[in-house]
Amino acid sequence: MITAANVTRRFGARVAVDRLSFEVGRSEIVALLGPNGAGKTTTMRMLAGLIAPSAGWIAIDGVAMTRATGAALRSRIGFLTESPGLWDRLTVYENLRVYAELFGLSSADREIRAVLELFDITDRAAERAAELSKGTKQKVALARTLLHHPKVLLLDEPTSGLDPEITRGVRRLLEERRAAGCAVLVSTHNLDEAERIADRVAVLHTRLVALDSPAALRRRLTTGRLIVRVVGDPATYLGEARLIDAAAAVDGEALTLSTADLARDTPRLVASLVAAGAQLLEVRPEMPALEDVYLHLVEDL
Amino acid sequence: MTRVRALIGKELLDLRRNRAALAPVVIVVVMSLVLPFLIVIGIPLLTGESLGREPDLVKVSDVGASAASASLTPEGRIQVFLFQQFLLLFLLTPVTGAMALAAHSVVGEKQGRTLEPLLATPITAVELLVAKVLGALLPTLTISLAGILFYFAGIVALAAPGVAWAMASGRSALLVLLVGPGAALVSLQSALLISSRVNDARAAQQFGVLIIIPLTVLLVAQFLGSMWLSNAALALIGAGLFGIWIVLTLVSAALFEREAILTRWR
Repeated sequence: MITAANVTRRFGARVAVDRLSFEVGRSEIVALLGPNGAGKTTTMRMLAGLIAPSAGWIAIDGVAMTRATGAALRSRIGFLTESPGLWDRLTVYENLRVYAELFGLSSADREIRAVLELFDITDRAAERAAELSKGTKQKVALARTLLHHPKVLLLDEPTSGLDPEITRGVRRLLEERRAAGCAVLVSTHNLDEAERIADRVAVLHTRLVALDSPAALRRRLTTGRLIVRVVGDPATYLGEARLIDAAAAVDGEALTLSTADLARDTPRLVASLVAAGAQLLEVRPEMPALEDVYLHLVEDL
Repeated sequence: MTRVRALIGKELLDLRRNRAALAPVVIVVVMSLVLPFLIVIGIPLLTGESLGREPDLVKVSDVGASAASASLTPEGRIQVFLFQQFLLLFLLTPVTGAMALAAHSVVGEKQGRTLEPLLATPITAVELLVAKVLGALLPTLTISLAGILFYFAGIVALAAPGVAWAMASGRSALLVLLVGPGAALVSLQSALLISSRVNDARAAQQFGVLIIIPLTVLLVAQFLGSMWLSNAALALIGAGLFGIWIVLTLVSAALFEREAILTRWR
């Protein structure tokens, strides 16, 4: 649904995005991660048809984004900008009404009522945008983004500054959109959010540093450490653990040991612990947080 | 067309909630109403000096006098002449009044951070620019036309008999319905063109106001009687102004750089 092929964007001598290639498929959520200035917003704007790549090409639903196709393609895209961008003197309803007309919706009233209900802001429809809280403004902006039933969603920091309850609602909404067949690209600084909702994570630092599922990314930074919890005193089984790693130790209520080959040594350890009469509660490789992986990837550049 | 109408509707709603923005227009219209009646009716009444005794005024009022004026007294002919000239003041009203609105339009959307979501819709640059100009012009033109209605009502009530009838000429219609709106469109489109090229509304306003200079020259020349424009000339000027507006709109659209506005303006 969303294709970026070798996309480069320069501003004068500065390269904001360098040879970026990726795809977001139908019913997929991809999180775009990167530090400030990594090119996330520029990428979003290029995908939304607001600015053109200096090189490479972009396609939405198989149609190349050009000057000629831009207007038609923009009607298939829901773009949530970093700032809600509501007209302060207009009411919530009036803001949505203008956009419904700009997108040429024939049943504007019905669509507006539907998105107001979706975000539970029907009772705020007559309030001016200037009077709304930040969270409610963001809800209205999201409502505006979904008003015309876009199949492609580009969301720049959709949960930035929102309270946990609204954030959870937004996540649920994204999952619903994914289930409805949308391709969703979410730019975020929130690694926890990326891990919770994204099928894949793209780490951007001018160029694409990594693109994979959160689990696969975390495996890249695996420590090779095993955590073992047993019923009773773990020190009882220190001998079995030291058959694998001479430096195995007790760390609180768990045994910890390192191995260069988890696939080979984990079954061996389990077998020897069971043979020694251990009742196993948990045997798991220590996984780094996505944040650690992200920092590792970005700091390596 | 739907998108242009939608955006004009938004502009009008926004103005309705920000009536102070239209206060300068109302003030100019009120001044344009008061000043002619003060000069043409009030001063002769207070001084007891009839305008018909001024040989220069009698002479200049004969220039371009219409057939409808022929049956009027010299005083009446001078009133027709002066009221016609002051009608030109109403040409300046939509220009001066809407200028700040037009100059602020693109810059304002950018500063309010509403431009990016707007540009993410299927709206084209031409649609955006036309909507912005008409959104600024329509309210000011409405106020200006309302002022003209009061102007004519005042002439009916206060001027010499037959003056109002002589005023209701093709010349007045051309000035009010063609030259005035045409000049306003050119001026506002110039301001908008500048507004989409600079990130400061004041700069756009300064450039847009330049259109007032030729209009003022026209006004002064009419007063001095050094240049009397025929109806055909006025029609030509009006049509020319609309032509210039169309060209300016296309130029503005070609020069409208979404990228520069989004990425370089702060």
